[in-house]
Parts: sequence; C-alpha cells; structure tokens
Amino acid sequence: MARVCVELCLWLGRELGPDFDRISEMCSTRTERVDPGATISELMSSLAAGYPLVRQRVFDPNRKRFNPHVVVKFNDRLINPKVVHRETLQDGDKITVLPIYSGG
Amino acid sequence: MYGYTGKCLRVDLTAGRTRVESIDGSTIEKWVGGVGFAAKRLSDEVPAGMEWDEPANPLIWATGPLAGTKVSGAGTFNVAAKGPMTNLAGVSQANGFFGAYMKFSGFDEMVIQGRSEGLVYLVLKDGTAEIRDASHLRGMDVWEVEDALREELKVKEKQVSVFGIGPSGENLVRYACIVGDRGHVAAHNGLGAVMGSKGLKAVVAYRGKPSFEVADPARLEEKSRELAEFAKGFGVFNEWGTGGGFSVLHGMGCLPVKNYTTNIFPEHEQMNGQYLRSHFKVSSKPCFRCSLAHVKEVEVTEGPYQGFVGEEPEYEQLAAWGPLIGNTDLGATVMMTKEVDRLGLDCNEASWTIAWAMECYEKGALSKKDLDGLDLSWGNVESAKALLTKIAHRDGIGDLLAEGVMRASRKIGGAAADWAIYTHKGCSPRNHDHRGARWYELLDTCVTNTSTLESTWSGIHPQLVDQDGPSDPFSPEEVSTINARFNGIRQFDDTLGTCRIASSSPKLQLDCLNAVTGWNLGLKDAFQIGLRIINQLRMFNIRHGLKREDERPSTRYGSVPVDGPAQGKDIMAEWESMLTNYYTLMGWDPATGYPLPETLESLELGDLARNL
Repeated sequence: MARVCVELCLWLGRELGPDFDRISEMCSTRTERVDPGATISELMSSLAAGYPLVRQRVFDPNRKRFNPHVVVKFNDRLINPKVVHRETLQDGDKITVLPIYSGG
Repeated sequence: MYGYTGKCLRVDLTAGRTRVESIDGSTIEKWVGGVGFAAKRLSDEVPAGMEWDEPANPLIWATGPLAGTKVSGAGTFNVAAKGPMTNLAGVSQANGFFGAYMKFSGFDEMVIQGRSEGLVYLVLKDGTAEIRDASHLRGMDVWEVEDALREELKVKEKQVSVFGIGPSGENLVRYACIVGDRGHVAAHNGLGAVMGSKGLKAVVAYRGKPSFEVADPARLEEKSRELAEFAKGFGVFNEWGTGGGFSVLHGMGCLPVKNYTTNIFPEHEQMNGQYLRSHFKVSSKPCFRCSLAHVKEVEVTEGPYQGFVGEEPEYEQLAAWGPLIGNTDLGATVMMTKEVDRLGLDCNEASWTIAWAMECYEKGALSKKDLDGLDLSWGNVESAKALLTKIAHRDGIGDLLAEGVMRASRKIGGAAADWAIYTHKGCSPRNHDHRGARWYELLDTCVTNTSTLESTWSGIHPQLVDQDGPSDPFSPEEVSTINARFNGIRQFDDTLGTCRIASSSPKLQLDCLNAVTGWNLGLKDAFQIGLRIINQLRMFNIRHGLKREDERPSTRYGSVPVDGPAQGKDIMAEWESMLTNYYTLMGWDPATGYPLPETLESLELGDLARNL
C-alpha cells in the first residue's frame, strides 16, 4: 500500500474532527493508504465517502471533481484540477487543497 | 430624493471661492454616486491633453446613497482625478468616517479646481464650506495634521473627519496619497500629488446631522442587520483580518517575495494575520457604524520593535513590508505601515519601488553611494524607512524614486529596467505575486480603467452573483471569461459609499439601497450601471491616449516563476489570447479594445458612441 498525505488548508480543523491532525489554524492533514497506481480522483472519492465535510467543501464524488472554489497542489506544485483522473499516486505523495480566491 | 443631499460643492482654489450646485435626479439615477459621479465628471470636465497637475484638473470627492446610513461601514467615499501615475483616470476609495461626515455636512460630491497661492485647508460644516490658511501645517505628516486641526478647531476625535496629504503630496511625489481617520487611504494613482499641486493640505468634515431622508427605515434596519451578519461569516476577515489569507496566498504561489525573485517564504506562518492577532495586543478601531470592526490598532509584543503601537497592517502592508523586501520580523511591518501612511505614500508603489532598489543594490545596479550611503540589503527595514523619508521629501536618490518604479527603472536602464514590477499604463499591482493562482487579478490590473481593481474584488466571488467559478486558475480562457462576466458589480459597489469588507453580499446591498432610495434595482441593473461606468471611464482613457499595447505587464510582472507552487507557469504565452477574449466579451473591438458603438448604445452612452 502507498501512503499519501492529504492536506486540507481550508480552516476546517475543528469541524473535521479527530481523524485529521490539525497542524495550524488553517491546515489539517490525514495520511491515507491507497493501492499503488490509484488516481487522485479515487483517493478523494474514498475520503469524501467517509467525511461529509470533504464531500461538501472539497470534492464531489459523483461528478469526480474538486469544488470550483479550491486550488489543488500535487507534491507542492499547483496542478490543473482536471488532471485528477489520470494522475496516479505513489508512496510519499502529498495532495494539498487551498481556497482559490481568499484574502488580501 | 431619498438617500441624497442632492448637492455638489464646487471649490475654486485660485479664486478662493466656493459655491453649491444641485445634482439633478437623472444624473443620480444614471450614475448613483462614488465612482459613477467621478466617471461622469471626468468625462465632462477633463479634455484630451489636460495634464494631471494643471489647476483645472478636477479633484473629485464623491460618496453614495448608503453613506451615513445604518449600513455597516457606511463611511466610504471615492476620490478621482486624472492621475500622475498613468496620465489616465485615477479613482480610489477610502473607508473611515469621511464619506458619512461629508454627507452630514450637506454634500454628495465635491469638485476642487484651481491652485491656491499659499497652502490652505477646507472645512465642511452644515451645508457651508470655508477655505482657511494652512501655512502652519506645511511639512506635517498626516497624523500631525489631524492632531493639529482637531486642536485648532477644538473638537474631539469623532466630531470631525480629516483627510489630507503629508510631505509626499506637498512635494508632488507621483504616488502620494490622501490619508485620514488614522490610517485610511485613497491610495492609487497619485491623487495626493494632485491635491498637493492645488495647494490643498487637508479637508475637514464635521459630523453634523443627516440632511437626507431614508425611504423605508424599517426595511433598512432589517436588511442592514442581515448584511452585517453575512459579512461576519464571509471569509476570514472577521476573525483574522485581511492578513488571514496570507499563508493561503503563499500556498497558491501568490506571496510577493524579494521582488518576485523567488516564490518561497518559509516564515509565512510567523507573519500572517493569525499569528499577529494571537501574539500582539490588539484593539478595535472600527470605521463609521461598522459592526465587523476588522480595522485594529496593535502593540508589538516581541522583537526589535516591541512596544511600538500602530494600525494593524492590512494584508497588502504585511506583504509589502514583509516578504517583498525580504523582512521576516512582523513587528517591523507595523512600524513601516505607520511610516508610509504618515508620510502619505501609496504602500504598494512605495514597496515595489524599494524592493526593486534592493534588487538593484544586490546586483550592483545601484551602489551604496548611489543610495546616499544606505545599505539596502534585503530585509534592512531601517534603511527602507530612511528611503521612504527621502522619497517623501524628494531628497537625493529619493527624487528619482519619487517618480515610481516604472519611470525610475527606465531611467537607470540596462538589465535593471527588466526587474521592475508595473503595468505599462504606469500603475502598480496590489501586493501579490499574481503569476501564481491569481492570473485573473494580473489581467484585471492591466486592463482596469481606474488604476485599481475593476473586474475583481479582493478575489472574485462569482457565487455571490449567481455565477460559476473557474475550475482551473491557469486556464487563459476561463480566467478572461470570468473577469468579463463578473465585471460591473465591483464598480456598482463603489458607487454606494460602503466598505466592501463590511458589506460583502451584493444582493443584500441592493436590498439596503432600495430601502434607502425607494428604488427597485436588481442584480441585472447593478451590472448594467457598473458596466456603464467602466465604459465611460474607458472612453475617457482612450481620449487621453490609452492603447492596447499599454494593457500588459512589465517584463518582471509577467515573468515565469522560477520556483514554488507556480513554477513554470507562463502567463505571457497566453496574454494576447486572454486580452482578445476579454475585449470580445466586454463588447469591445478585439483589435483595439475600443468599445463598440452597439455596446455604448446598450449602456445609454449613445453620445460617446457618436463621438467615437
């Protein structure tokens, strides 16, 4: 199994509950285990199935797409959210989700 | 007419006279107030060829129908003129109290022309205006001016609102601004220099009694409360201020670090709004009738500036005096924020200029001797502070830097000319790295007709006006399409006389407006009015020389990030297609950016179409 870190920087810390590590006011993380070669879409669908808040604010598992008000980084590089279907995961990968239009 | 005094104050500083004119109902319904009044006034009174420092260039102050009402943050006003940074329209907005007090003094609008022989200030009270000698205020910073005038007029803090210029405005620094109410600023396009060129040091407005009526006070009470509650739950501003998004912006590759030479700033979590509000001593300094109270005063509690008290830096000031100049001490950003405001300089242009000078110093394009002995290494905030003072007084190297980063970099030339961050119109971006996931704001900064934001809104929030958001912030087609479709609502908001942060729901704002005026406007009407203002200003700018080639970023502003989350993203590879798509969707000629006659006709600007 590959271990992949999912980091949600959306100020959801208190609401996500104890299954996520709250690393700051803004960011919470959780390490997920996936089969090598699984896609980002498959991982996020699985996470959304387990956590209604993720389904509501981050990823729509039915349409297999991120909420349009977030941006996504894969291993610290911004990626086009549309590539989630084909980008496959390896051990040690990291997915970060940020609000797209916020602040300043 | 409900919501308005219906009066415009005319000030002729050359003759030393004032007079009151009526504003007719059709002008009010067509242009609403604020930036709308300014757009109309500029078009009517500034012919092609008039320079920004000519006495006839009108300095326009205008508030709107919600100013002075129960709507949260209803102390806002706009200032406009032909501006020295772009030689095009300059319209800027300030919060605080002045918008309400100007209206309480009897005026929706004020048009100041001429040039006084000596320095003067203006007092607005109970429907009258008086021009007074200000020679004793010469050289004072804007905080000193406020103190001196309150003492002279024997009034308490909240009895008057004072907006004025510091030494920067007196010395015609191109990016001098108008500052008042302890840190509120009409910052963009050098409007403080226009004020300085007229010999006007300050304007004082008394609180007075409201001289306008509200059509439906009960409904206004209900809707203004809903709007205030909405604002408290919107974004992170209520809890963490505008600095609450600082680390998000780092994550998006949008923090400006060391003049765009890198995108990485590991110290961001020690300099964001969350850190500031949980470590420094913070007290509220709300604007007029604001229930959100995101404006704070802070006392620094750690580091070299421990004990320093100043206004809380907004996001842009945190970025300007933090990562942009390579400073990692949060307390120093509080000190620099107060310094730049006291001197009356636009924080953005001042910081782009100093960051560019720091890069020049690092790379040898400017020596210590060139900089009058200053060590301008990255992060040297005391040298940056000294340079601000030199700029404000046009002293030594400050005289060159007072021209702004575009003109200064062209003068120095060579490779250094490519390091400066600006648009080819001459105005500066807000303090982000827009090459990250903010392409939409980079486009807006280049195509705006006011010299500040036009189609975006401290971020864009299409969901608030029933539109879809983008799925890919680096899609040139999506970005330019969304900017065009969202366009209009921001300019409409700038007609009303309320703070954007305290009243962040356009629909509830419209409910309040209708309650105040007795009108029945909807979102479609709001967009129509906003687009009318944009096209009016665009026609003004075209008359004053705007061309398509001006609507692009400088070499560095449009460069490819070398590291960080947006590494390799190249906006300029897509620029021409973005611009063409934007022009087309705005109803403008895709080749020139000129509004098409049918676009102008549809916005009731037929006269402009015929002149085109």
